[in-house]
Amino acid sequence: MKIPKPDIKEKIMEEMLKVTDLKRVYGKGGAVTRALDGVSLSLEAGEFVGVMGPSGSGKTTLLNCVSTIDKPDGGSIVIDGRELTGLRGKELAKFRRERLGFIFQDCNLLDTLTAGENIALALSIVKAPANEIPGRVDEMARLLGIEDCLNKYPYQMSGGQQQRAAAARAMVTHPALVLADEPTGALDSKSAKLLLDRLEVLNRDRGATILMVTHDAFTASCCHRVVFLRDGQIFLELRRGELDRRAFFQKIIRVVSELGGEMEDVL
Amino acid sequence: MFSKLAVRNVRRSFRDYGVYLLTLTFGVCLFYTFNSIEGQGAMAYLAQKENSMVEPILMLIDIFSVFVAVVLACLILYANRFLLRRRKRELGTYLLLGLSQGQVSRLLFLETGVIGLASLILGLGLGVLASYGMSALTLSMFSMDVSGLLGLRFSLKAAGKTVLYFGLIFLLVMAFSGLQVSRAKLIDLMQGDRKNEELKQRPLGWAVVQFVLGVLCLVGAYAILLFFGMAVAVAVLPICVPMLALGTLGTLLIFKSLSGFVLKLAQSRPGFYYKNLNLFTLRQWISKVHTTYLSQTVICILLLLAIGITASSIGLNSTLESMTNSQAPFDISVQNQSADWSGPVDFDALLDEEHFDKALLAWKSDVTYYYNDPAVTGIEDASAAIRLSDYDDLMARLGKPAYAGELPRLLEGPDDVPATGGLGLVCVVVPDGMAQGLEVRRQVWSADYAGDKEETEEALIQILRPLQQEVSLHVSSRLSIYQDVMGSKILALFLGLYLGFTFLLAAAAVLALQQLSQAADNTGRYAILRRLGAEEKMTARSATQQVALAFLLPLGLALIHSLVGMKAANDLISAVGRVDSVQSSLVTVLMLVVVYGGYFLATALACRRMAK
Repeated sequence: MKIPKPDIKEKIMEEMLKVTDLKRVYGKGGAVTRALDGVSLSLEAGEFVGVMGPSGSGKTTLLNCVSTIDKPDGGSIVIDGRELTGLRGKELAKFRRERLGFIFQDCNLLDTLTAGENIALALSIVKAPANEIPGRVDEMARLLGIEDCLNKYPYQMSGGQQQRAAAARAMVTHPALVLADEPTGALDSKSAKLLLDRLEVLNRDRGATILMVTHDAFTASCCHRVVFLRDGQIFLELRRGELDRRAFFQKIIRVVSELGGEMEDVL
Repeated sequence: MFSKLAVRNVRRSFRDYGVYLLTLTFGVCLFYTFNSIEGQGAMAYLAQKENSMVEPILMLIDIFSVFVAVVLACLILYANRFLLRRRKRELGTYLLLGLSQGQVSRLLFLETGVIGLASLILGLGLGVLASYGMSALTLSMFSMDVSGLLGLRFSLKAAGKTVLYFGLIFLLVMAFSGLQVSRAKLIDLMQGDRKNEELKQRPLGWAVVQFVLGVLCLVGAYAILLFFGMAVAVAVLPICVPMLALGTLGTLLIFKSLSGFVLKLAQSRPGFYYKNLNLFTLRQWISKVHTTYLSQTVICILLLLAIGITASSIGLNSTLESMTNSQAPFDISVQNQSADWSGPVDFDALLDEEHFDKALLAWKSDVTYYYNDPAVTGIEDASAAIRLSDYDDLMARLGKPAYAGELPRLLEGPDDVPATGGLGLVCVVVPDGMAQGLEVRRQVWSADYAGDKEETEEALIQILRPLQQEVSLHVSSRLSIYQDVMGSKILALFLGLYLGFTFLLAAAAVLALQQLSQAADNTGRYAILRRLGAEEKMTARSATQQVALAFLLPLGLALIHSLVGMKAANDLISAVGRVDSVQSSLVTVLMLVVVYGGYFLATALACRRMAK
């Protein structure tokens, strides 16, 4: 596989994800919770965007709606030019497996399969040609630095290795959009850094578009852009621009601490 | 309030209770059916004829029922334990909400009561139908006039017995559940999600070696059985023990290694391995192997017993039938054993005198047997002599050619003089003329009926009875011999089917419960697959394949075992008589399809639902 040159990225600049006025309401009558109250967000191809916010701010609901696991009550979601809200059943499953990749906090590897088989299974599900599968698995494992673990079962691997295997599984199908829900949540800082480095590499070299929900300012600091959610609405957006990671981290931390009371459970 | 909650719980968790209810219902049905045989179908016929086997059959069914009840009790307890484990969290919540352990026990008590009542009603209803089917089966097997013997009947006695036994079993279950709840700790109940068993990785090459070893063991066991034959292989301990040991070991090794062996094969064929969810299905199978290979072996043996017992009890039937034919060549034979001093009886005249309608007889013959006098016949070893014309008459009736060799001739083996009930004489055939120089020894009057056999025989016996005061008569009829044999046949058939069904039920129910609890553990894995974008159809198919592997593998191996066993058994039985293997195979297959297939379907459907 050829590595796309950085200048190509500049050229594509198309919208990979466009969320417009997204609404999701739980409950009926008087006891209504507006988990998402008119969220609009747009990701360009090759962008790496973080979503932060306190518990109950709607982060996970947003991710669930984008990942087609949950259905919004209003608004539209367009991924790679395809409107999602009209899709159902089989189409939805097809879209999900062909265009989306998932990384979860609990890495969700199948415990009965080796790491290599876990990655291969994602390719089996998208019906990739069988003779290509081992090669693609090896390549992705190399990119994520888990080539030694391919024949190990999840319980024989460290948490970081498991999470990188899960990332490999999410990326191996070349999805249009990778959705990550607290990917570093269960990792120690060293493993977290390793995983984030790899995600950045995938983002930079492969042009993968990533939307990541996180609590952790350090994790968020590797994104190009961080969006803050509160009470189902976006109230702030930070761009990394030309800042290095450390400076961006400081900037995020400042927002978080200024919001102190409201975001006390961020740290 | 509790009863309402109990009923609602049962209705709500019907999915979990489905297999439980099925097992209970089948159990009740089985129990009722075999305990209601008194006064139905062939048993009613035997009782009418005052057959001596009726009492022993009923007694043996009673004894076997205790055994069956014990097996069913174990099965039901096992099923109940499975249900309780699935509901740990719910029970924990009740306790957390402040219900006392006594109250929770009472709740479970009521639930068991509801389920028990439902299964008793369903099972007894099914049982009435099943006992009708069984009457029809037994009557058709004995090719008898069925008028009046066949009909839907409800046996109050059998129902009472069923209710008593199952009531006891339910009480046991209630006590057991209560004990479980009172011993359980709240923390265990709340964190009741079972941990995954640790996966032990073994090199796949080892599985291949084990598989080959297993096959060799089985080939060895089969070779011993076929080489020595059934009679020797089962009866002679030094041969029997190694055969059984090899067979069991081979089965065990195959179940232990088959999944690894298949996985190894599949991995070398990426086109298959990476297709659909095959990789996942195979891994699921192999991950359960080291906890299930023992139970799979036991289930395979149970199935083998079920198939073997059923098929051979039905096969034995046909053999007994052919034995009847060789013992009773004519419908009736009347032997005048005092002919040597009281003289022959003129049966023709006697029948006329009593106004017996001769048209009722299709054929009759009156044969005189003489004392063998070596001085006349020149043959030492015979005890009686028969004239050539008489002998040819009898042979003609049986469709055999007339004798055309040298005379006098000693009769041996299959050429022996035919008579129903047997003569007990060694005969020599002599030319008609030579017989005039011999003394009369015995007179045998034989006949075949033309009309209704039972009425004709009744009339004949009425006429012969007074005669027995004067001469020593020995009357044997095909009907009476047939009824004697039928008693043993029915005994074999009933006990065989009873045990066969019990083993089959046990095997199927254990498999079903195992699969269901595994499927429950698998829901998390299916959720991951769905998130990866696997369609419902794919996960459901994988779930079905897993159930199919668990159900079909023990069945497949048991079928291979029983084919070899039946081959050996047939060699043994066919030495005695004819075997109607088609009929026995059909009944066995039908039974397998209904019980095993029913469980398979119920389990596969439930597991599919859990995978969606």
